[in-house]
Amino acid sequence: MKVTIRSWTGVATWRWVANDDNCGICRMAFDGCCPDCKLPGDDCPLVWGQCSHCFHIHCIMKWLNSQQVQHLCPMCRQEWKFKE
Amino acid sequence: MLNSYWLDANMSTDDVWKKICLAFPILADNECSRECPEDNVLEEIKELKLNKCIEDIVICRIEQIMRQKITPDFWSRFSERKTEIGGFERFKDAVDFLYNSFSNFLPMLENLEKFRTISRINRVIYGEETLLGTFKVIVTSTLLSQLPLTHQIITEDFYKVSFKVFCNADKSDVDQDESSEDVVQCGGCSHEIEQCHCQAILLVFHETNRKLIELDLLERLAGEVITTLIHIRIENHVQESCKGSFDTSYISSLESWLSTVVMGWLTHIYNVNAVSTQSSIKKFHQKISHFLYETYTRTRIEQLFNIIIEYPDSQPAVEDLRICLQKTDLRLYLTQKLQRALETRLLHPGVNTPDVLTAYVAAIRALRQLDPTGVLLETVTLPVRHYLRWRDDTVRCVVSSLTEEGPSELADELVRGEALQLDEGAPSDEDMTNWEGWNPDPVDADPSKTSKSRRTSDIISMLVNVYGSKELFVNEYRTLLADRLLSQFTYNTEKEIRYLELLKLRFGESQLHYCEVMLKDVYDSKRINAHLHSDPNFKLDRQQFPSTAMILSAQFWPPFKEETLELPDFVKEHLQIYTKAFETLKGNRTLSWKPHLGSVNIDIELKDRKFNLTVSPIHATIIWHFQTKNQWTVEELSQLMHVPATVLRRKIAFWQSQGMLREISTDSFLLVEESSTRSKCPVPPDMVCEDEETESAMASAHDQREEELQVFWSYIVGMLTNLDLMPLERIHQMLKMFASQGPTAVECSLRELRNFLDRKVREHRLLFSGGFYRLPKS
Ligand SMILES: [Zn+2]
Ligand SMILES: [Zn+2]
Ligand SMILES: [Zn+2]
Repeated sequence: MKVTIRSWTGVATWRWVANDDNCGICRMAFDGCCPDCKLPGDDCPLVWGQCSHCFHIHCIMKWLNSQQVQHLCPMCRQEWKFKE
Repeated sequence: MLNSYWLDANMSTDDVWKKICLAFPILADNECSRECPEDNVLEEIKELKLNKCIEDIVICRIEQIMRQKITPDFWSRFSERKTEIGGFERFKDAVDFLYNSFSNFLPMLENLEKFRTISRINRVIYGEETLLGTFKVIVTSTLLSQLPLTHQIITEDFYKVSFKVFCNADKSDVDQDESSEDVVQCGGCSHEIEQCHCQAILLVFHETNRKLIELDLLERLAGEVITTLIHIRIENHVQESCKGSFDTSYISSLESWLSTVVMGWLTHIYNVNAVSTQSSIKKFHQKISHFLYETYTRTRIEQLFNIIIEYPDSQPAVEDLRICLQKTDLRLYLTQKLQRALETRLLHPGVNTPDVLTAYVAAIRALRQLDPTGVLLETVTLPVRHYLRWRDDTVRCVVSSLTEEGPSELADELVRGEALQLDEGAPSDEDMTNWEGWNPDPVDADPSKTSKSRRTSDIISMLVNVYGSKELFVNEYRTLLADRLLSQFTYNTEKEIRYLELLKLRFGESQLHYCEVMLKDVYDSKRINAHLHSDPNFKLDRQQFPSTAMILSAQFWPPFKEETLELPDFVKEHLQIYTKAFETLKGNRTLSWKPHLGSVNIDIELKDRKFNLTVSPIHATIIWHFQTKNQWTVEELSQLMHVPATVLRRKIAFWQSQGMLREISTDSFLLVEESSTRSKCPVPPDMVCEDEETESAMASAHDQREEELQVFWSYIVGMLTNLDLMPLERIHQMLKMFASQGPTAVECSLRELRNFLDRKVREHRLLFSGGFYRLPKS
């Protein structure tokens, strides 16, 4: 007997490759979206800081905008710099 | 006694007695003599000054004759008979006899009345001022005092026979053409047509009734029989007219039947002197008209379950019933009857849920026509709602029929669209502009509900209200949608999007947001697949077979059943390449495969056969392994594929049914490389594996909810450990405070909580007394 696969449609779930499940700012799942968004993934992406912490981009931007003096990572209090 | 009034010493007692007897021969004679005494005889007796006494003696004598002779004679004619006609004759005979005897008394009564006048006696005997009146009372009371047990049979015969003749006369007017040559017997008198007695019977009937009326005996003697006969006749007629047909209104035809046929007969009975009997006929008409309505209403109520099932074809019957309910007092009867019918015919395990739902929807429509206030609907269908709530697949059935292809009442209803109204909502303001058209709710209305909510809630709302929670409903829709998307593997979601839009109109945007993301996932997957395959940089073009994926946003899909499957390495390599390609495209994102889900198209080449099949990954994997080795035990495959043996055995059954695998010993399967002639089953090419199970990949809503509620359980145990006793409301408040915070907030209505706690009580994990819950002493 010879079995030949002509096509294979699989089912997969996508997830962010991050060292945590939830955003440290909004507490929502990374694979979900921030409270201001409706659609996950492309529409509500993650960003990483040089400190290696990551957040929903909308969450960290809001956070940074609310900081008057210095831009610090809300998790580790180091200066926040976007990872290149 | 006579001595005390003795005045004339010249007359002996005998002389006086003779004189009295001369005036009233009845006293001496056994027969009523018709001879009238001379006027002077009466004058002479008057001189005796025994006036009242004489009258008493005469009346006493009349009573005696009635009691000892006439009445026994009259009733003796009511003895057994052989035929109805025989009975008819006997009744006539008896009445004739009575009438004659009665007439014989009349001259004597006249005489006595004369005596009364000249001796100026004014007295009331038996409530009657005239002697004729008194006499009639005597006749009636004596007759009734000797009433034989079987007298009704003969009376019935008399009226039955005549009614039959009467109805026949009426009928032959209506359908003359039908009573054609083959009818030899007259439908009225059962004689041969040539010798029809109908005319004679009617004549006798008329005459006899006239006599009874003259004697004031018609009501007393025959009233009950006539009424009973009419009732039976009405019942039969109603039954015959409207059995099984619900698409015609019968009220007017029944009414005209009543006023022509039945009333015609009654008029025939009473119409001796029209003026005096008119009012009693009118009263009779009202009574039997009420009886007709009641009978018809009862008949329709008996049929109501079938009427509902046939709705809207049965609209005329429902409309009849609506009118009848206003004229009768049978609302409660209807409620009880219909509830019982629903319980016995609908609410048992033998009826599947879609059928219960269909009946429920029909009931909603029919009962709303029957009672626009909605009260009847609410009361009658309460058990149905309770029952549906208890069935596991209700929500699923509702949702699937809502969004089903083809004609479906619910789908139509959905398209009709209207914002969803749930009972929980605050009582809405009654419409003040149309206050003059206001009507109070019926007495059996539930005062805790606004009449507006009853009047306006539509069918879908009623169905959703079965569960009382939009969330549960929407969740079930989500599961259904997930199953549909993952079983079809077409990326064509146009139709689903259209339904989703309709559902959003009803359930609101936010409730259905998850479903929107799911549909977007399917759409995006299509784009990603196309993109990855079109760009050679992703190296998918070098694969031995094209691999594509349905890429899901896990947070938005319902939870999946946990299942494992180890795919063949060859396949895994392909999927890894796909994953790499995805990672390259999306950056910082990766895929987790659900290996048991998907759809595989395979060619199978055997020595003498070739197939192309579309199967599930697990089926593909099983047959794949038979390439390297043509015989496997379930145990071996189970270890290799990481699939439980029970599941495997079920899946292998598919390949057995295809004639590809054969069980050579228990749990050991062999590839059938060459089909023997007998099992040469022609498998159509390009078939899709119609699996024995179209089972859901999702955990059912019920399971999900149970799991969610379990979260509460630990809270509840904690609370009760600390506080010992708590009422339901308190527990609910506490849970709201503590358990429903954070991203996985779980809502739980008071009712749901009560059900949950009650179940724990049944499981003996909680105690409930005096309105308080507590933990059992361990
Ligand atoms: Zn966030
Ligand atoms: Zn966002
Ligand atoms: Zn940091």
